Amino acid sequence: MGVFKMPPQIVRLVLLTVAIVGSYLMARTVLTPPSFRQYGWYRGEALVELASRQIVFAGKPACEICHDEEFRKLAKGSHKGLSCEGCHGPSQAHSDDPDDLAVRPKKEPFSTCTRCHEFNVSRPKWHKQIVTRTHYTGDKCTDCHVPHSPTEVP
Amino acid sequence: MKSEISRRDILGGLGAVMAGLATLPLARTAKAAVQKLAVSANAPKGYDPTQHRWVMGIDINRCIGCGICVEACKTENHVPMGRNYFRTWIERYIITKPKPGTGAARGEVLVESPDGGMHGFSDLPVPAADVLHSFFVPKLCNLCEHSPCVQVCPVGATFDAPDGAVLIDPEYCIGCGFCIQACPYGCRFLNPFTRTAEKCTLCYHRITRGLKPACVEVCPTQARIFGDLKNAPPEDPIRQFYQDNRVQALKPFLGTDPRLFYAGMDKEVR
Amino acid sequence: MTNEVTNIVVEVLPRFEGYVYPNESGAHPLWSVLIVLYPYITGLVAGAFIMASLVRVFRVRALEPVYRLSLLTALAFLLCAPLPLLFHLGHPERCFEVMMTPHLTSPMAIFGFVYAWYLMAVLLLELWFDFRRDLVAWSTTEPGFKGILYRLFTVGVTDVSEPALRLDDRIGHLLSVIGIPSAFLLHGYVGFIFGSVKANPWWGNPLMPIIFILSAVVSGIALCVFNYMVLSWVRRKTADMRCLDVMTMFLFYALVVDAAIETLDWVHRVYSAEEGFQVMQYMARERLFYTLNLGQSLLGTLVPLLLLGSLQLLRKRVPELVRRRMYFASASFILIGVLAMRWNVVIGGQLFSKSLRGVMAYKLEFAGMEGWFIGAVLLSLPFIILTVFIHLFLSEKLPSTGHGDG
Repeated sequence: MGVFKMPPQIVRLVLLTVAIVGSYLMARTVLTPPSFRQYGWYRGEALVELASRQIVFAGKPACEICHDEEFRKLAKGSHKGLSCEGCHGPSQAHSDDPDDLAVRPKKEPFSTCTRCHEFNVSRPKWHKQIVTRTHYTGDKCTDCHVPHSPTEVP
Repeated sequence: MKSEISRRDILGGLGAVMAGLATLPLARTAKAAVQKLAVSANAPKGYDPTQHRWVMGIDINRCIGCGICVEACKTENHVPMGRNYFRTWIERYIITKPKPGTGAARGEVLVESPDGGMHGFSDLPVPAADVLHSFFVPKLCNLCEHSPCVQVCPVGATFDAPDGAVLIDPEYCIGCGFCIQACPYGCRFLNPFTRTAEKCTLCYHRITRGLKPACVEVCPTQARIFGDLKNAPPEDPIRQFYQDNRVQALKPFLGTDPRLFYAGMDKEVR
Repeated sequence: MTNEVTNIVVEVLPRFEGYVYPNESGAHPLWSVLIVLYPYITGLVAGAFIMASLVRVFRVRALEPVYRLSLLTALAFLLCAPLPLLFHLGHPERCFEVMMTPHLTSPMAIFGFVYAWYLMAVLLLELWFDFRRDLVAWSTTEPGFKGILYRLFTVGVTDVSEPALRLDDRIGHLLSVIGIPSAFLLHGYVGFIFGSVKANPWWGNPLMPIIFILSAVVSGIALCVFNYMVLSWVRRKTADMRCLDVMTMFLFYALVVDAAIETLDWVHRVYSAEEGFQVMQYMARERLFYTLNLGQSLLGTLVPLLLLGSLQLLRKRVPELVRRRMYFASASFILIGVLAMRWNVVIGGQLFSKSLRGVMAYKLEFAGMEGWFIGAVLLSLPFIILTVFIHLFLSEKLPSTGHGDG
């Protein structure tokens, strides 16, 4: 038998396969993000990006820095578990620049008293609830209650 | 077909290509370094995700259904305001009294979540006298130990972070929606603006700076308890929560092993 | 935000009954028409290829007239298969990520590799080895642009000597053998995408990939019958009757197995009546009434079973013309029925809530990325491509030597 000659079909196909697989592997090294597999099958950089987002709610400790009087008053009454921003709204922008009037939270809360205290059968029994109709026909809850110290009369 | 390209030409061409390729790793490292600089300007310094294990607990006995947490979450995370985009939401369960003489233990069960509970819950769909039990259940990502959502992501855009949060990389997500289908708890959705999947991140940008997630921050009754199980002493609220309550998880038969535990849950909650 | 106004307009009517998770209550299911079409198209590809392999691997001589047409059908549909996926992605420009960083725990991640393997290593190669001799001949005889095209397709290999042709035949046979499990993988993984979702009781069960593969084979054979009869009609030739008889025989038995497994799935659900059964039953009865009972069961399964089954028993008694009509009708009904089946699986799985307490409604829109207009365009595109292929490779004007000339 003579020298084995590789059939031309096979030669061409092998070359094509090598070219295709080769370009795929090259593309893979180029196009995989650099921080991939840092912690697992994802971009490690994503953790940093997600942690770098803007903060909107400042958190109760931030309010204490300037408003310690209200803070101490709140801590003595039954509203001590409330966060300032739960009623007054997001305050990080205010905390960053207290002089900026545009981002200063309003004194009146962004959620009214009835949001939490209106009677609702689904609410747990330990929670203080009133039926506004029978409780007080006046204008504002603050006529009889001080929000930071609810049992105090203004 | 006689080829007029000589062997030398081919080798020369190949050599040029190889040289070009050799510069690629350098270029990639340079690009990565520049990107890192741009992002890390605002990043929390010195935060090591392997040194924390964040978790949340829900006390159903304490939830009053005010919905302030849902609003705060939407505000903090710029979630689209539509009716079907929620990272967290509140469900109300109403279990009615059984009809007299039927011999049933309980009556009908009604579940509702108007606008995700964002504006609270007002009218009762049944007369108050018919109600046997009623309660609110806050829902969010269940922080599964064996997250099915992570398992099915085809590209590695959603993942279990080492510190316990299950996160989505919005720069890498292709928006196929497989993770949304795979989540048994319905906590994922497709953001119509970014066209990527989105879900509760435990306010990752807050917890990495020592703050609490927005929903935990604003909850007036401490129905949501948040903590770092790797660094929590016995007096920590999360340890107290596990100590004081017998807890349940949602859909345990699916094997997802949720780390979000509910205290005071009823058998009707799905 | 401006979308507040749209929200008010769009969300006036409640689109669900009972309780659904807020994230599920959107205007349309997440996976809509486009994701119904993708399994349908890949199923047709797999089925048409299995048809062709009946000639090569199992040496069913009677089917030779339809061999090349089946392969070209498979190719035309395979080329269109990624389109619904690309249209559906939130970020199609990032689609390459599936091949760059495939997350191997996800069935969806193997799409890029299975598709590339099937397209290049199986289908294109098998077509090349079968057509090679003709391509070389046509590249010399055909003038102008077409001649250049044929020369391109020869990939520069012009050896058509006896040993070369014998090698072609052997490699073609090998490729057909490899192609059968590859076709099962191409469509089976799609079935597994649904079968692996344990969160959804309509999808997540082990029968799902099997049902998908079996209905794919059925739809693929039906498509070949359909294409062969239409092509013959266009050319004003009579389709080979023996070929049709044998094709529809395989179609009948494939349909029997498919119907049996789908019935088993249904019986098991009804019998074990697990937690989600009631809401799924309600959903199937109310939302899927037409597509399930009329489309999939009656038109797509029962009627073809009766038509084809009766012909298996009474073939000799039935005149040829009537048989042709029955074959064409059965093939068309099956094609519609399998599309309905894909709809029932994909859309059905999303029409009830994972809370197992509520059912959604879905009205298919005309326009938009998930409307039926795009669906119709994507379904007609493979036929257009097939017409081009037939013109290039199965033309009556071109002398050909391969297995079957359509």
